[in-house]
Amino acid sequence: MTRRQVIANAVAALLLAAALAGFCTLVLGSLDRPVDWSRAWAYRESLWRGWTMTLGISVAALMGSVVFGLAFLMGQRSRLPVVRWACRGFLEFVRDTPLLVHLLFGYFVIFAPLLSRPLAGFGWDDKMLIGIVLLSLFAGAYLGEILRGGVESIPATQWDAARAVGFSPLQVYRYVIFPQALRRVLPAIAGLFVSLIKDSSLLNVIGVSEYFYNTKNFISRSYAGLEGYLPLAFGYLVLTLPVAWLAHWLERRFRDET
Amino acid sequence: MKLDLQNVTKCYGDTRALNGLSLHIPEARVLVLIGPSGGGKSTLLRVLGGLEIPDEGTVALNGHPLTTEPRDLQVYRRRNGFVFQQFNLFPHLNARKNITLPLEKVHGHSPEAAHALADQSLARFGLLDHAAKLPSQLSGGQQQRVGIARAIAFSPEVLFLDEPTSALDPEMTAEVLELIQELAEAGQDIILSTHEMGFARAVADQVAFIADGRVAESGPPQTLFNTPKSPDCQRFLSRVMRY
Repeated sequence: MTRRQVIANAVAALLLAAALAGFCTLVLGSLDRPVDWSRAWAYRESLWRGWTMTLGISVAALMGSVVFGLAFLMGQRSRLPVVRWACRGFLEFVRDTPLLVHLLFGYFVIFAPLLSRPLAGFGWDDKMLIGIVLLSLFAGAYLGEILRGGVESIPATQWDAARAVGFSPLQVYRYVIFPQALRRVLPAIAGLFVSLIKDSSLLNVIGVSEYFYNTKNFISRSYAGLEGYLPLAFGYLVLTLPVAWLAHWLERRFRDET
Repeated sequence: MKLDLQNVTKCYGDTRALNGLSLHIPEARVLVLIGPSGGGKSTLLRVLGGLEIPDEGTVALNGHPLTTEPRDLQVYRRRNGFVFQQFNLFPHLNARKNITLPLEKVHGHSPEAAHALADQSLARFGLLDHAAKLPSQLSGGQQQRVGIARAIAFSPEVLFLDEPTSALDPEMTAEVLELIQELAEAGQDIILSTHEMGFARAVADQVAFIADGRVAESGPPQTLFNTPKSPDCQRFLSRVMRY
């Protein structure tokens, strides 16, 4: 940076800090009552339970979405046109309709009447399980498209070379295509997984007692404001930031390699 | 090596890349395919290498007819080596890993044995110092030599090379051609296509001239280069030998 840029940078930093401070003062000053963290503390157990539930749902839906994503990838690359069209149609539907609709429709109209009773019979949380499946399907649809794009971006010569050395079709994917395709689509996948974690908050509409649901209850019962929303945002950041960082780190590592 | 092709046809869309091609080679160590670009050399090599299934006709290598069953074709590919014009190394793996991965996963060698075999063939081609480099860190000539090392590491029955020097400058071309000649002298059965006529004459014991998806003429290099019979071959040779 030139000397002039250094000065401009320092001035910009000062102005931004002042603007943020002014905004915070304005917001905090307009609160009708003092911030009282003891209220959040009183609900700590419920909030913690909600947070661990969100963590569990995210991890499960992440794995589920990989399974569905791979299935959709294979479906779209099937040699049978009917399978390809069916896959395409389903993916198009899932990607062009809101997740909220999938959750409400999928739970109340499709899965709850079919599965709630048997799942409850096993003593399982039917809302959570069905929610995970619906979330996995939604993210899986996007993942399937991302993976398809990645796989199709690998030049035909690589498929030739992989077949020429004698790899089986599965080995071609496993050792040659996927390692290269994944590098290319890693940023997109990381973005998808971050979205998936955040979207798990929508499961509150079918009554899954995850982090958002429990925080919402806490806020409405204790008339909390800041004490509820700040930990809420922070709780999701704790989950999403490591995913984003991991993706950046992997991306850098791959870039250095090639 | 013995080769027998009867009426082989292969179409890509409306293009007949091979158009009823027949070729009978009773005995050869090195068969070289020459001819104009787009004449069908590459397609023929891809069929011979088991990468492409012909639409019609039969192919027999060393008396064994080539199958159209994908699983059997995979077994066939495992027995033979294939080298590409554009090298086609796996860009995410270093030179050694490019060789060891098929040895381990296809031929069932232990990692130690694969490592030893890979280093042996890398050393043979003077590439041991580059074993840990990625393809992008190697010159074209080095990449192609790794490609050849990968194809011969498991002692293939036949080594197929599709214009192995077309993407290389003259100096690198020389280093790769020397290597192929060395392999031929060591007794490796080879079928290759090339535009290097001097090399074809020196290394081949059978040459086939391919144009318009057929074999226009074939025979020992002295005969074919000195007294070509077909007008197409005469025209082609007079053109490429002019400069």
